[in-house]
Order: sequence, then C-alpha cells, then structure tokens
Amino acid sequence: MALFRRAVVAVGVASIVATVLRLRGSGGTPPQYGGWRELSGPDLE
Amino acid sequence: MRILLVGAGAVGARAARQLVEAGDVEEVFVSDLDAARRAAVVQATGDKATDVGNDREVEADAVLLAGPVGSHAAEAARHVAAGRTVVSTSDSISDVQALLDLDGAARERSVALVVGAAFSPGYSCVLARHAAAGFDEVAEVHIARSGTGGPACARHHHASLTGRGLDWRDGEWQRRPAGSGRELCWFPDPIGAEDCYRAELPDALLLQPLFSGASRVTARLAATRRDRLSAHLPMLRKPHPEGLVGAVRVEVRGRRNGQTEVRVLGALDRPAVAAGAVAALATRWAVDGRLPPGAQGLGALAEPVPFLVALATVGIKAAVFEGGS
Repeated sequence: MALFRRAVVAVGVASIVATVLRLRGSGGTPPQYGGWRELSGPDLE
Repeated sequence: MRILLVGAGAVGARAARQLVEAGDVEEVFVSDLDAARRAAVVQATGDKATDVGNDREVEADAVLLAGPVGSHAAEAARHVAAGRTVVSTSDSISDVQALLDLDGAARERSVALVVGAAFSPGYSCVLARHAAAGFDEVAEVHIARSGTGGPACARHHHASLTGRGLDWRDGEWQRRPAGSGRELCWFPDPIGAEDCYRAELPDALLLQPLFSGASRVTARLAATRRDRLSAHLPMLRKPHPEGLVGAVRVEVRGRRNGQTEVRVLGALDRPAVAAGAVAALATRWAVDGRLPPGAQGLGALAEPVPFLVALATVGIKAAVFEGGS
C-alpha cells in the first residue's frame, strides 16, 4: 500500500512538473524595431 | 461560367458572395446537407445563386469544395473523373495528401485541381512565392497562422493541436508532436506577437515541391496556454459562428546577390472572409485556364502578383514586415 501511495505521489508530482514546463515561458524575443507596411506600388510589380 | 459550391458554412457563404459579384460567373449552385444554411446563403447572395439541395451532379464548369474536412478527396475524384475543375479549401493533411495523389487523374483529364485554396494554406502559398521572388536560393520557408474561420474550422484547429505536425527538414519529412516547437511569431497589428506551435497543418506539403532546394519548410499555429492544455479535451467553449480576426505570416530565408536575406510577408483579416475570397478567385482563375492542369496548391500560379493584386481589390491586402531584432 505504501508503495502504491508513493507511486501515485510520484506520478502526480511528475504531471505537475510536466504541465508547468509545458505552459511556462515564451517562444522567443519580439523584434526590437520596425513594423508592418502594406504592400503597394513597386512591391507588387 | 457556372460553379457548384459544396458547403455553405462560413467560408462557403463568403465564397458564394464573391462569386456572384464576379461578372464572369453566370450561376452558382449551392449544395449543403443543411437546408437552412443553404437557403440562407442563396437568399443573401441574390439571383445568380440556386439551391440544389444535396445534388452534387449538376452541370457546372467547376466545383468549389468548402465543406468540412475529411470528404474532399472522394468528392474531388468524382468530379475530376467527370472532367470538371475542382478547388478545395481543406486544410487537413490527409485531405491534402489524397488530393495531391489525384494529380495523374487531373492531368489525364487536363483539368486543374487546386488544393488548399483558403487563407492558410492558399493565400500563404501565394505570399511565399512572392516573398521568394528575387532570391537566388531559398533555404527556409516558415508559415504561421493565427485565428479560425467558422465553427468547423475552429473544431479542426482545436483537434490539430493533438496530432502530429508535418515539417520538411534536411531532405526528409518529419512528424513531430503537435503543441511542440514553440516559437514567438510577430503577426500584423493588432494581433502582434503570439506563441506558435507545431500542429497538423498541410502547408509544408504544398510548399516543399515549389522550394525543392530549401532545407526547412515548416508550419506553425498560434495557440494559447489554454488551447494546449485543453487540446485533448472537447472544446471548452462554443466556437464563434463567424470566427474573429486572424492572420498569416510567411518568412522566407535565403540568399540574394551573395548575401543572406530574410523576407517576412503577412496579412490580417477574418479567416473565413479571406478564405472565401481566395477560393472564389482561385475557382475563376482555374476555369479561365490561369492555373495549369494537375493537382497543386496556389503556389503553382505562374505569376503570384496579379493574384495578390486581384485580392487586394476586394480588401485582402498583404503587408511586409520591415524591422528586426
């Protein structure tokens, strides 16, 4: 029974750690300057 | 020309609107299993639209498949065998692969089978072609998309985060778990920066043949933490009936005049509206013979610029990102 409880606790802790690792942080750094400009004129030739 | 529209959902309704407004379209036959949806589209689009129930065998010059994913290949095979031009808006990997497999049959009948003619894939493929213009060598093509069209698209978007993404990397296809490969992508304003992940998206399948020298062709889908956490569960909220604002972003890396260069193009719109406009224009161009016979994506257009210009006249406008880190 103790072994079973330990296994349940280990699986629970692993799940929490995996969820935190999956959800935390961000995928990179945004551009520091610049922006979007609509294509027009020479861009579409 | 006479067009059979199969599917009167968010994308189909927008495509019908674009088709009836085109001078060269004489009639649009609207087919859908849902009688109320069919009737609503016919009523909203006027005299050129005809409700044909669930009849898929009416005499038409082209068939625009805008129904839910999963059934496009079987339907396309039947119409191609009958010698009709077919345009599909499906963004399912299995649909796209099965449609591309119909290339031989389409060539034999000398008809165009346009695969993935929506916002992404579709408009994204045309942007990729335009972004790559002038490059001596294209090394990488990366597509990212944000937002969904109608409810069917939203459900597919939700499911696509549980499957396996498909990327081209170093000369071979790689299937990696959807929801992995986080990357911050900067979409046109007001969407801005969003985390994007691998998902079951077919863009690489359509783009790799066009950029056979590229070492990487990838596609990513913008998703929130909640999307990723709940991807394996049923959708927690009912999808928006029309979808909200979405965007596509295309990044092409390569060499020009001996220098490494990166070009980023994008577009912002409601995905169902943009997908409908792209599908309608692709259908008209395919009937006009402006797309070659065979099964291919919109990247196969001989000249992408006139297509972008034509879409800009109906409000679907491309933008370029100028800046850096």
